[in-house]
Amino acid sequence: MAAVTVDSLLQNPTLLFRPKSKVLLKPSRSLDCSRNRKLLLSRSSCFCGFKIKPRQTSLVVRASSSETALIDNSDTFSTDDVLYKETFPVNRIEKVEGKIFIRLDQSKNQQDWQLTVGCSLPGKWILHWGVSYIGDSGSEWDQPPKNMRPPGSIPIRDYAIDTPLNKPSKGDMFHEVKIDFNPSNEIAAIHFVLKDEETGAWYQHRGRDFKVPLVDYLEDDGNTVGAKRGFGVWSGALHQFSNVLLKAEASPADSPNNNNNESKDSKNKNRHLEGFYEELSIVKEVSVGNLVSVAVRKSLETSKLVLHLETDVPGNVVVHWGICRDDAKRWEIPAAPYPPETTLFKNKALRTLLQPKATGNRSGALFTLDEEVFGFLFVLKLDDNTWLKFEENDFYVPLSGASSVLGQHGQSESTSEEISSNSYTDGIINEIRNLVSGLSSEKTQKTQTKEAQESILQEIEQLAAEAYSIFRSSIATFPEEDVAETDTDSTKPTVKISSGTGSGFEILCQGFNWESHKSGRWYMELQEKASEISSLGFTVIWLPPPTESVSPEGYMPKDLYNLNSRYGTIDELKVLVKSLHKVGLKVLGDVVLNHRCAHSKNQNGIWNIFGGRLNWDDRAVVADDPHFQGRGNKSSGDNFHAAPNIDHSQEFVRKDLKEWLGWLREEIGYDGWRLDFVRGFWGGYVKDYLDASEPYFAVGEYWDSLSYTYGEMDHNQDAHRQRIIDWINATNGTAGAFDVTTKGILHSALERCEYWRLSDQKGKPPGVVGWWPSRAVTFIENHDTGSTQGHWRFPGGKEMQGYAYILTHPGTPAVFYDHIFSHYRSEIAALISIRNRNQIHCRSMVKIVKAERDVYAAIVDEKVAMKIGPGYYEPPSGGPQRWSVALEGKDYKVWETS
Amino acid sequence: MEVSVMSSSQAKICKTELGCRDLRSCFGKTNYKNETFSRKPNSVSFDKQISRLRKAGLRFTVKAVHSEPILEAKSSTGSTSLDSLRLFVGLPLDAVSDGNTVNQARAIAAGLKALKLLGVEGVELPVWWGVVENEEMGKYDWSGYLAVAKMVQKAGLKLHISLCFHASGQPKIALPKWVMKIGESQLSIFFTDRLGQPYRECLSLAVEDLAVLDGKTPIQVYRDFCESFKSSFSTFIGSTITGISMGLGPDGELRYPSRHKPAKSGTITGVGEFQCYDTNMLNLLKQHAEANGNPLWGLGGPHDVPTYDQSPNISAFFNDHSGSWESPYGDFFLSWYSSELVSHGNRLLSLASSIFGDSEVSVYGKVPLMHSWYKTRAHPSELTAGFYNTASRNGYEAVAEMFARNSCKIILPGMDLSDKHQPCNSLSSPESLLAQIQTTCNKHGVEIAGQNLASGGLEQIKKNMLAENPIELFTYQRMGAHFFSPEHFPSFTEFVRSLNQPELQPDDLPQEEVEATESVQMSSDPNIHLQTA
Repeated sequence: MAAVTVDSLLQNPTLLFRPKSKVLLKPSRSLDCSRNRKLLLSRSSCFCGFKIKPRQTSLVVRASSSETALIDNSDTFSTDDVLYKETFPVNRIEKVEGKIFIRLDQSKNQQDWQLTVGCSLPGKWILHWGVSYIGDSGSEWDQPPKNMRPPGSIPIRDYAIDTPLNKPSKGDMFHEVKIDFNPSNEIAAIHFVLKDEETGAWYQHRGRDFKVPLVDYLEDDGNTVGAKRGFGVWSGALHQFSNVLLKAEASPADSPNNNNNESKDSKNKNRHLEGFYEELSIVKEVSVGNLVSVAVRKSLETSKLVLHLETDVPGNVVVHWGICRDDAKRWEIPAAPYPPETTLFKNKALRTLLQPKATGNRSGALFTLDEEVFGFLFVLKLDDNTWLKFEENDFYVPLSGASSVLGQHGQSESTSEEISSNSYTDGIINEIRNLVSGLSSEKTQKTQTKEAQESILQEIEQLAAEAYSIFRSSIATFPEEDVAETDTDSTKPTVKISSGTGSGFEILCQGFNWESHKSGRWYMELQEKASEISSLGFTVIWLPPPTESVSPEGYMPKDLYNLNSRYGTIDELKVLVKSLHKVGLKVLGDVVLNHRCAHSKNQNGIWNIFGGRLNWDDRAVVADDPHFQGRGNKSSGDNFHAAPNIDHSQEFVRKDLKEWLGWLREEIGYDGWRLDFVRGFWGGYVKDYLDASEPYFAVGEYWDSLSYTYGEMDHNQDAHRQRIIDWINATNGTAGAFDVTTKGILHSALERCEYWRLSDQKGKPPGVVGWWPSRAVTFIENHDTGSTQGHWRFPGGKEMQGYAYILTHPGTPAVFYDHIFSHYRSEIAALISIRNRNQIHCRSMVKIVKAERDVYAAIVDEKVAMKIGPGYYEPPSGGPQRWSVALEGKDYKVWETS
Repeated sequence: MEVSVMSSSQAKICKTELGCRDLRSCFGKTNYKNETFSRKPNSVSFDKQISRLRKAGLRFTVKAVHSEPILEAKSSTGSTSLDSLRLFVGLPLDAVSDGNTVNQARAIAAGLKALKLLGVEGVELPVWWGVVENEEMGKYDWSGYLAVAKMVQKAGLKLHISLCFHASGQPKIALPKWVMKIGESQLSIFFTDRLGQPYRECLSLAVEDLAVLDGKTPIQVYRDFCESFKSSFSTFIGSTITGISMGLGPDGELRYPSRHKPAKSGTITGVGEFQCYDTNMLNLLKQHAEANGNPLWGLGGPHDVPTYDQSPNISAFFNDHSGSWESPYGDFFLSWYSSELVSHGNRLLSLASSIFGDSEVSVYGKVPLMHSWYKTRAHPSELTAGFYNTASRNGYEAVAEMFARNSCKIILPGMDLSDKHQPCNSLSSPESLLAQIQTTCNKHGVEIAGQNLASGGLEQIKKNMLAENPIELFTYQRMGAHFFSPEHFPSFTEFVRSLNQPELQPDDLPQEEVEATESVQMSSDPNIHLQTA
């Protein structure tokens, strides 16, 4: 590598173009470099990242030009049987690598120093630079002193200078600029970026300015160049390079004023200003012209047409082709035979890989076509999935009367020749840029428009949801619920499944607690209990989070597709789900979509690079969590601080998550979801996921705190339940939500004997269940609030009052595993059987008949009466209904009609 | 000069955060083109669009702009009036209900933002007489409405004001208290039916020039109200406020309250009753009959008419075959009855245009769509409402002529109604009546703005908006819980999108997109999308 000559840099590549009468020829220049070519059609990236590789001198610039037409007449055809012959110019954008070199050295008079910045790539380079002075705080630039500014400098406002890079001498291939300065100028650092005026691209260093420190106490922010490096590190090859530079060095403009500065500042003497030389690789997008030549002749033996296609586009080139039978140029597939290496593409076109020619970098193919074929259509597909087209259309070769008109590109011939005969660089580059942007603009624009549209639509939806919830809450009754209630009196309502409610008659069992991971065989243990759980009357069971996780409980997922967890293996999980299904239970998977733990660190040492099948990078992480340096958008919800929060606004993230949910449904057999920490992202995305995965039932954990005044919980928790309602609403009702409000109010009511809290101002239940019963999943405990964590434990000994409430009331009740397998078991079973017997469902009508200090009583659907609390209540006797006690326990009692 | 206009409009856009983006401006190139190029050449709007698009994060290359003509040719087919169509949404009727507070201001603010983003041009705000001038004559409280106007202005939307000199049943907004008090002792200020029942939701047209309101005539009171409105809202008029509609009777419409109670939906509505039985109406009728030499015809309305909910054939007057509506008496009565209505409309609209005519606002009046029984020869519903429109006579000529005379535009409600959704045997035809009124208006050069009566019916609205007769503006009724509900709002969004970009529809259907570009071949490869994006 090191032996590669730099001399070639100094050659002036003569770019040849010869006007030819028949054959359209565009000057083609191919800059060949030893690295892989990257062909870009997109112009979106405006600067490229740099890596410091000081020893790398890999650049080879070989100026080649196509001096001859690709198809030599004498080679393949004799002139007279050629029916058609055409050379199409094609333009590609190629990434060319080069170097930026930065050198700091002392000039001959030992006082002045010189900073040289150069670039080995052709272009109109501008150094955009400024300085910072000793004692400056912050990262602002300042104007350098006048005597530092090289000739041709233009001040940009009051903070920077633009100085063009020039070729040191005419024959040089590289551009450079030299800045002379005196270290006593109080300058702490020189900052710069490079700009290529031709393309408007800016070149930065690690996403920031280049910074050349002139004092040794500046902290390295990661964008420093030449820090702590002396001349001694130069390698031989570099030395060679530097000789070139030195040779070309102009005599520095000595400033006589500087002489008296020598003893000016004692601080200066402390500086260890050391010279350095550093090279940074740079990648520039350069447009490259190539040719595609087509010739058609008639085969004398077969009276078929033989089309010969050849190109100097490097690498594997696939011709994506077809024929047409009339002017409409509708693609058709011709009859065989096809050239070798031809495949059929989606019944729409054929693809032929061009075969390399023995001579040169060319490749080509021969196509045999029927005589009656009207035209030959093609586009070229390159190695890296770039497509080359003729202007914005398919290449078209007319075959009917092929010798006559050349069709569409007749015009462009004259225009491009005009351009090429004028100023080469500007004209061609602009044209190429237009062509490229023209090619891609429609598509990109479309996608950009789509994206913009989508984000606006989402914003509209959010606003509409907000407006809706306010307008709605000011209406005393909810039409949705009321309508549902009227049809349901005695006849069994028609069961309509929706993911927000399931059948409406669901009773949920939380099938694990905080300790379940400990045995390592939870799936197997639970399987033994399947029929028992089912026989208690549950319809849905919620399983622990199944993915590989950093924490054993599963809520810090890592590789989403790895379902071997502390609860068991993927196969055990599948077996479990199957046996749960067998006993008639629907199975909810606990899916953690809000955050995900990374597999590795990025270059800054931040854990935000993911592995496994979904190997996202920091674009998948929200931008507003400082811990994880995400490059995504701002979070659409609250942040969970222990792990990178996923940016659901990214299309690829959503696509991947939807696929994953689909896979879980398919592979494991999950029927629905319990969605973890949905506060962390917008409910509209949940809707998206649910629409895609079509669960039988879904419930979200939207857990935030209730309102307290002076340590005492407020009676009115409307704001709290409103937030949950808003979330449900954002999901468009496709998910239910845990009724945290009801749990909180039950806490206060039971703990403090304040049963009056169980009626809101309008005489309805004060939780989510009072406002949107069908979407409320009522519960009194879960793995976080209770179990061994006990973050917010239900008042001890009063659990059955809680269950007497939620299992008789509308909403979808959820029972915690620990309670099922405890001494409460038979009472819970009895309550469930009362609920099922009386067909109480998520939309049942509740009439609160008593909400006093020590007793709360309600009648549900006029079929079940209940009271909790030590106070007295008996359902009315002598009315139309006859009540009989169905269950009685400590401070609760339930009646049903007989 | 052009430059200065451009920059000022840009500045404005940057100032109002919402002005920067709306959905319409992002609905793809095709529509964008429409907006900017098929309108009058207008560099201001062009520039505005560009800057909006920039804000919305879109980049347009120069190339893309140049390639426009091709696309324009593609999109210009079919859509005639869409570019100029302006869509408004009504604010809740009780946005302000007690003078100085805005109800559900937060919801309205969110709603305004949503509408702005959706690309809706403005909102309509009903301003109630009974709210502003509730306590005593001449004492106006505009503060609540001013607050709404500010919200609308801040949201970057236009505002259309409906001055309501009538009362509302649901939500309950009555006439001003002091007017109702006068009405208690003086029932004759209200329209009255044959049985002597007064209609307390608006004043009888017959008292308009009588000094029944504490020494002032209703016309004077209305004038003072409008003047006060004009001076209070002077900073908005012509900028935020672009239209004012003058209340002309029950529900703000130019008509008699021929039905005292709103008709139940889905049932066949009766013919309604003539409302000429308050003493002042009877006086006018009497004078008119005497002047015509038929004093006996001036004693009351026709005797052989059905009651409110009856069908026309119950009694003789509206009978399609030799009903007395076709007799000389019938013609006498109906001519008088309808001409009184037209003169009433003329009084109010000339008042409105004299006050607002010098400002940059359009003045509107609402004409009802009395579509029941339209398929009979007599059109009894229209007759009782005051429109002498029958199989043999175009009663809307006089109306349209009156609007034209006052340079006012007509608001036509009921653009959501379609014949096929009418109850069978109702002999109703909203579509034909709409067509008749539109034709008549076109003849007189009166512009029409549309409204809907119920929510939904979006397909029919769209059909009407895209019809041959151009509607200059459509006001969709009305913001509220239902409007933003998951059952309704998505379809409204779709509706707005489809109005804005009917040509882009294939684009929304991914399959068709593939079809459409198949001949271009390149896109048949799935990779291409990723790669160019």
